[in-house]
Amino acid sequence: MKKILAVAKWEYIEKVKTKTFIISLIITPIIIISFSILPSLLFKEEAPNVEVIGLIDTSGVYFNELENELSQYKLPDGKRNYVLINLAFKSKSFDELKSTANKNIQKKLIEGCLILHYSGSDSVYAEYRSKTLGNFKNVERFEEALSTIRFKKKLEQEGIDTKIMQYFQNKVAVEQLKVEDSGKVSDQDFLTTFFVSIIFILLLMMMVVYSGQMLVRSMIEEKSSRLIEMLVSSITPDELLTGKIIGLGLLGLTQIIIWFLIGISLIASALIPLTAFNNILPMLSFFILGFLFYTSLFVGIGSTVNTEQEAQQITTYLSLILMLPVVIAMPAMQNPDLLVTKIFSYIPLTTPTIMLLRLNVETVPEIEIILTLVILILSILVVTKLSAKIFRIGILSYGSKPTIKEILQWIKE
Amino acid sequence: MLIVNNLVKRFNSTIAVDNLSFTVKPGKIFGLLGPNGAGKTTTIRTILNIIKPTSGEIVFNGNPITYEYYNIIGYLPEERGLYKRSKVIDVLVYFASLKNMNKIDSLSRSDYWLKRLKILNFRNKKIEQLSKGNQQKVQLIAAIIHNPQLLILDEPFTGFDPINQQEVKDLILSFVSEGKTIILSTHQMDLAEKLCEDILLINHGKTVSSGKLSDIKKNFGGNNIRLAFSGDNDFLKHFPEIIKFDHYHNFTDIQLKDEIIPSEFLKKLIQKFEVNHFSIIEPTLNKIFIDLIKENSGTV
Repeated sequence: MKKILAVAKWEYIEKVKTKTFIISLIITPIIIISFSILPSLLFKEEAPNVEVIGLIDTSGVYFNELENELSQYKLPDGKRNYVLINLAFKSKSFDELKSTANKNIQKKLIEGCLILHYSGSDSVYAEYRSKTLGNFKNVERFEEALSTIRFKKKLEQEGIDTKIMQYFQNKVAVEQLKVEDSGKVSDQDFLTTFFVSIIFILLLMMMVVYSGQMLVRSMIEEKSSRLIEMLVSSITPDELLTGKIIGLGLLGLTQIIIWFLIGISLIASALIPLTAFNNILPMLSFFILGFLFYTSLFVGIGSTVNTEQEAQQITTYLSLILMLPVVIAMPAMQNPDLLVTKIFSYIPLTTPTIMLLRLNVETVPEIEIILTLVILILSILVVTKLSAKIFRIGILSYGSKPTIKEILQWIKE
Repeated sequence: MLIVNNLVKRFNSTIAVDNLSFTVKPGKIFGLLGPNGAGKTTTIRTILNIIKPTSGEIVFNGNPITYEYYNIIGYLPEERGLYKRSKVIDVLVYFASLKNMNKIDSLSRSDYWLKRLKILNFRNKKIEQLSKGNQQKVQLIAAIIHNPQLLILDEPFTGFDPINQQEVKDLILSFVSEGKTIILSTHQMDLAEKLCEDILLINHGKTVSSGKLSDIKKNFGGNNIRLAFSGDNDFLKHFPEIIKFDHYHNFTDIQLKDEIIPSEFLKKLIQKFEVNHFSIIEPTLNKIFIDLIKENSGTV
C-alpha cells in the first residue's frame, strides 16, 4: 500500500508540474466558456453607431410612417438607431436609383438601402441591400415595421380603428418549463440547457484526452528507457497500475475542483444560471466515474503502444466515442425517450456523457440513474482487471504493436 | 546465495531459456555471458520475478523469490534512461521509496552516492540537463540506493569513458567485499575476465559452458604460445606441431597440439629462426567466447 501511494504521489506531483497540465487547466475552461457565451454576447450587442438607411419607394407613401416606426429603436446614449433618408428622386428612373444606391453603399455613405417593389394592388415586397448579409436584427426590424405600416393602411382603408393594431401586436407567448424530480419547476431555457450539457461533456472529453495523453506518454517514456523494468523489480505491475490510476484520478479531481470554483464564480457573475447545477450530485458522479473508467481503459491500452503516433491514434478514437453524445444531443433533447439514447446510456463507453446530457434535458428516473451508475462502477472494476492483465505483459513487450489476438491471449494468461 | 534449477521459459512455440541451472555465490561476481538473443535478459527477468518461468525453481538464501525480496534486489537494465524532466534528487528518492526506504534515509544515501560518483553538484538539476554519462551514473545509483543483497547489472559499463568505467568497477568491487551476490551480464569480455570468478556462457537458451573461469580456461585447449620473430611467417605452416595460428601486428598466437611441450617446441624454433619473444599464454575469455559460440552455433 505504501508503494502504491509512492507511485500515486510521483505520478501526481510530476504531472501537476508539467506545462501540459497547467495549460489544460486554464485554457480548457476559457475555450469552452468563450465558445458558449461569446455568440450570445455578440448577438445581443447593439450597433454602436447611428445607421443611415436609404429608402427607395417610388410611391412615396411609406417614408414618413417608416421613419416613425423606426424611431422607437434608440442607441444606449439616447440617439436614434436609424436615420432614414429618401432616395426616390423623381427625376431618375428606378434602375438609376438602384445603381446610385449601390454606389452609396459601396462608398459607405449609407449603411444599407431598402427598396420597395409593388406588384398588383395590395402586395409589397422589399429588398435590403448592404455590404453584409448578416444584419438579421436590422432585417427583422424592417420587416416588422413595414408589415405594421401595411396593415395599418389596410385598416384605414376599411375604416377600422387602428387602435386594434396594438391588440394584434401582443402575441401569445409560450414558455417552456421543465419539471424536476423534486417537483420543482425550472425555467431554464432550451439553449442554456443545451450549452450546460455540452459544457460538461466537453470538459469530460478534454480531461480524458489530456490526461490520457499524459499517461500514455509517460508510459512510452518508461517503456522505451526500460525504466519499467526497474519499476517492476521493485513493485508488482498491479501496484504500479493502481498507483498510476490513483495519481491520475487525483490529477483529474484537482482539475474538477478548480473548474468547479470557476463555475461558481461564473454563477456569481450571472454568466451561467444557477439552475445549471440542479443535478450536480449525479452529474459529478457520472463525471468522476466516467473519468476513472476511461483512465483505467487508457492504462491497459497505453501499455501496448511503443510510439507517440500510436498513442495519438488511440486517444483520437477514444475522444470520438466521447463526442458521440454531441451528435445525438439535438434529437435526444427534443425527444428524450428515444430508444437509441436509452441504449447508449447503458453502454459503458457512452454512459457518462449520455447521462450528463440526459440529466440536463429531461428528468431521468432514479432507477435509471442508479442502474447506469452500477453498470459504470462494475465496468470500471472489470476494465481495471483486464487492463492489469494487458499491462503486465504489455509493459514488457517491445517492437511491433500487438494484434488483438495477442492481446486476447494476454488476458487469458 | 542464488540457486537456479532447471529454469525453462517458453514463449508460445519458442524456447527462450532451455533448462538452465547455476549457482551464484555471495562475495563474488557471477558473469552471465552470451551472444545477443541468447536468453540473458529473459533469464534475468525470471530471476527478478518480472516474468514467470514455465518451469524450474529460483531460490535466494533458501527461499523462492517473492514479493518480500523486492526490497533487497537491485537491477540495472541494459537500456538507459530516466524521467528526463524530473530532478535528479526527486528521481532517486522516488526509486528509494519503491524499495520501502524512508525519506530521511533516501536523501542521505542519495547524497552519499552522488558525492562518491562526483555528481553532487547536479543534485537539483533536471535529468535532461546532465551529460549521458552522468545520467547513467544517476541510474546506477537508483539501482543500488537501497543497498541490495542481490544486484543484477546488465551492461553496466557501456557508455562510460575509461575514468568512469574505473569508478563503476570500484563501486561494484566494494559491493563484492561487502559479501553481496552479484550477477554481471556483459559483452565486454576483458572486463568480465577481470571481474568474474564464475561464469555461465549461454547460447540459444542453453548452457554452453559454466563454472569457475580459471577451470574453464584450463579445460579450453591450454597449449597456446605467443611468438615474435623476424622474417616471413609462412614457415609456420610447415610445423606439424601447430594446430592453428593467428597473426597480429606485433606477434603471432599459436595453438599447439596437446602433447607438444612448449619448451621443446621453442628449442626447435630457435635452431631455424631469430625469436624476439616467446611466452605461454592462457586463452582469453574473448577467445573462449568466440570459439565456443562458433562451435555451438555450428552444431545447431
